[in-house]
Amino acid sequence: MKKEDTVKLISSEGMEFVIDKEAAMVSQTIRNMLTSPGGFAEAEHGVVTFPEINAVILEKICQYFYWSLQYSRGKETDDSLSFVIRGFSFVAESTPDWCSCLRGSVYVVLHCMVAYLQISCVIVLT
Amino acid sequence: MSAQKKKAFQIEAFKHRVVVDPKYAEKTWKILEHAIHEIYNHNASGLSFEELYRNAYNMVLHKFGEKLYSGLVTTMTSHLKEISSSVEAAQGGLFLDELNRKWAEHNKAMQMIRDILMYMDRTFIPSTHKTPVHELGLNLWRDVVIHSYAIQSRLQAILLENVRRERSGEVIDRGLMRSITKMLMDLGPSVYQDDFEKHFLEVSADFYRLESQEFIESCDCGEYLKKAERRLNEEIERVSHYMDARSEVRITNVVEKEMIENHMHRLVQMENSGLVNMIVDEKYEDLGRMYCLFRRVPNGLVLVRDVMTSYIRDTGKQLVTDPERLKDPVDFVQHLLDLKDKYDKIITSAFSNDKTFQNALNSSFEYFINLTSRSPEFISLFVDDKLRKGLRGVTEEDVELVLDKVMMLFRYLQEKDIFEKYYKQHLAKRLLSGKTVSEDAERSLIVKLKTECGYQFTSKLEGMFTDMKTSQDTMQGFHASQDVDIADGPMLSVQVLTTGSWPTQPITTCNLPAEIMGICEKFRNYYLGTHTGRRLSWQTNMGTADLKATFGKGQKHELNVSTYQMCVLMLFNNADRLSYKEIEQATEIPASDLKRCLQSLACVKGKNVLRKEPMSKDIADTDTFLFNDKFTSKFFKVKIGTVAAQRESEPENQETRQRVEEDRKPQIEAAIVRIMKARRVLDHNNIVAEVTKQLQSRFLPNPVVIKKRIESLIEREFLERDKGFRCLLVVLLSSNFRPPCPVHHLLTLYLFFELEKDNARGGVLLGSEEFYRCWLCRLPEKSCYSHAISVIDNAELRGG
Repeated sequence: MKKEDTVKLISSEGMEFVIDKEAAMVSQTIRNMLTSPGGFAEAEHGVVTFPEINAVILEKICQYFYWSLQYSRGKETDDSLSFVIRGFSFVAESTPDWCSCLRGSVYVVLHCMVAYLQISCVIVLT
Repeated sequence: MSAQKKKAFQIEAFKHRVVVDPKYAEKTWKILEHAIHEIYNHNASGLSFEELYRNAYNMVLHKFGEKLYSGLVTTMTSHLKEISSSVEAAQGGLFLDELNRKWAEHNKAMQMIRDILMYMDRTFIPSTHKTPVHELGLNLWRDVVIHSYAIQSRLQAILLENVRRERSGEVIDRGLMRSITKMLMDLGPSVYQDDFEKHFLEVSADFYRLESQEFIESCDCGEYLKKAERRLNEEIERVSHYMDARSEVRITNVVEKEMIENHMHRLVQMENSGLVNMIVDEKYEDLGRMYCLFRRVPNGLVLVRDVMTSYIRDTGKQLVTDPERLKDPVDFVQHLLDLKDKYDKIITSAFSNDKTFQNALNSSFEYFINLTSRSPEFISLFVDDKLRKGLRGVTEEDVELVLDKVMMLFRYLQEKDIFEKYYKQHLAKRLLSGKTVSEDAERSLIVKLKTECGYQFTSKLEGMFTDMKTSQDTMQGFHASQDVDIADGPMLSVQVLTTGSWPTQPITTCNLPAEIMGICEKFRNYYLGTHTGRRLSWQTNMGTADLKATFGKGQKHELNVSTYQMCVLMLFNNADRLSYKEIEQATEIPASDLKRCLQSLACVKGKNVLRKEPMSKDIADTDTFLFNDKFTSKFFKVKIGTVAAQRESEPENQETRQRVEEDRKPQIEAAIVRIMKARRVLDHNNIVAEVTKQLQSRFLPNPVVIKKRIESLIEREFLERDKGFRCLLVVLLSSNFRPPCPVHHLLTLYLFFELEKDNARGGVLLGSEEFYRCWLCRLPEKSCYSHAISVIDNAELRGG
């Protein structure tokens, strides 16, 4: 992966996730961070710090990004909710003991993704 | 899927931390306020988007959205006030530049701010129905900067000044103008219109009002139109470069109104350069320009068309009422054709073939061609001239062209039946003297007439051609049947004409010389031998003869003369000198014809085979004629006076017209009866209208004549006046229709035949007794008419 195509997401504990820009921009918020004019720090350095999101959640979110890209390419007209549920179950199933690692309910994660990170496929649950 | 369905889930908000700090809102706001300042001061690099976004997000989440929003409004407003002052301070030419630059910066700042405050924009604002951030930014810019007291009027003034400068030829910064007008449009269409466009249109109207006044005093029509066109194009180009596209139609309306509509009458009527002059001088480019420009304004083309029409009508009227012009028919018609060509060219090349102009041209021609009663005759004479000599050596296509043009003039004639009469006469002369240039051309014209007017129009004309052909065959048969010794005597060539097809000629007296009589009798016997039951009468006023003559010094000539002339000349075989009276007695030719004949034999230089005493130009009863021994001519064959068709003298003209009027009467009567058969009951005015409609392809019937015909039909009991109505003349078919003496009354037969056509004897559906009784009964007036109709209908059903 070329440097220009990637972005680094840093969790509250300091764990770094380097992912494709295209994947990261599934989140409208991250997209704005990187493309807003005026020279914000994130766009300058290609690094986004999330002091309030822990590594476990951030990891799930990154996985969701990739899953979303993969599946949205093939199925343009998919029903939003079923897409969400499939996405959600992907997130849930990929790590069996995932729930216990979370601080709070799984829906909190969803709200983070939806409201905070503006991930549009999940928007329906806002 | 809507959110409503999911209300069952309890979604806890993703909150970053529980808020305990009472000054939380204030602290968070301060961070954001600072960021906004930095953004406006171009100091934003290095700020963390995530941090700002998170703070705004938290404020909204913790129900401090109101504070955030109002803080935003306040901060933005104060920054915009600063900007406003800096723009105001800009000097002269830099004003627009500064405004434009600040506007670009503001847009960039707004985008950054909106991105940071995105969560508020998407959740808090819709639910509280506040103005979204972007729109808020535009509104504040509009209110604080553009509509600030100092800036608003100055901006408007500078924009309009730039336009004015450009109009007077200066070059201005169009890119800058574009950015500014685009800014106004972004702020809202009403801003663009109220702050700029409205005033732009007003100022432009004033400008063009003045300029058009100036131009019209100093320029002629063509120049003025060029200038107007240039200005129009300029404005269109100007709009495309730096205004909203919707302004184009508005500004062009202004230019059109001020430069064209307000002056259109003056332009069209301008002396020496107006519409009429353009037409006369064939200024196609100017005319085309006038058409394009005037098309843009209401009633512009109507004005052009009206002026053109009245000009055409006037010049046409002058042409047809000018007695000089009327002396030469061929020239007259050629003039008409040239005129039509000229106007056609104008309409095709300058008026883009506009149909309304074509129609106006056609109606004008129709108007003035029918102003003189001579038109039908002259058109026939024109054709005659062409078919005798004018079309000699012309290609087939060109012949068709000329004939089509003639047909075009023919269509304009209202009195087509008069044309028919003359055409028949002229055609007869051409055929009998063998003087037609091309039989194909003749036939082609007949076909065209048939297509235009129907079979009846040309059936007789075609009969004439048939007769000519048949005569050829007859002559062959005749010569074959005769003995050889005939070759010594005079050679006879006969054309047998069927009476109905050829123009009626009065039978004149004429004593043919004995030698001729002999062979004529032989022919008569031959012909009647093969065609029993027919009657032949020699038309001595139409034939020709070739005579071999020997003069004093032995010079021989062959003379081509008319039959009358032959009769006169043959007399001089037995006498050297004869008086007028003697000649008259011997030949029994009618006086006027005889005089004309003698004149052509004795008084025409180069053709005087006779000498006259005294040597005057006119023939008197007391003159004496001698054979002219001293006659000389360069040519062996001398042609003496077969006169081509001439335009008629006044009395002849009157006579022809009268004959045509007589012919019209039965046509009118037939039309009346045809109409009444269909309608049964009809009032006078409607009858007149219907008759006119039916006959208009042949001629325009005179309503007075129609009335007379109706009365005549009533007298002869074809029609009946209705007894029930007092005010309307209601006429219906008589119920006891019986034609009087059909054998003797030719006319009645004709009408009777009309009625007999589909076995409804005089429309006798009215004949039943029941109807008669009903008709006589006294019914209240109002229902009389409808009652009559219903009875007629019922009678029809029962089969009368």
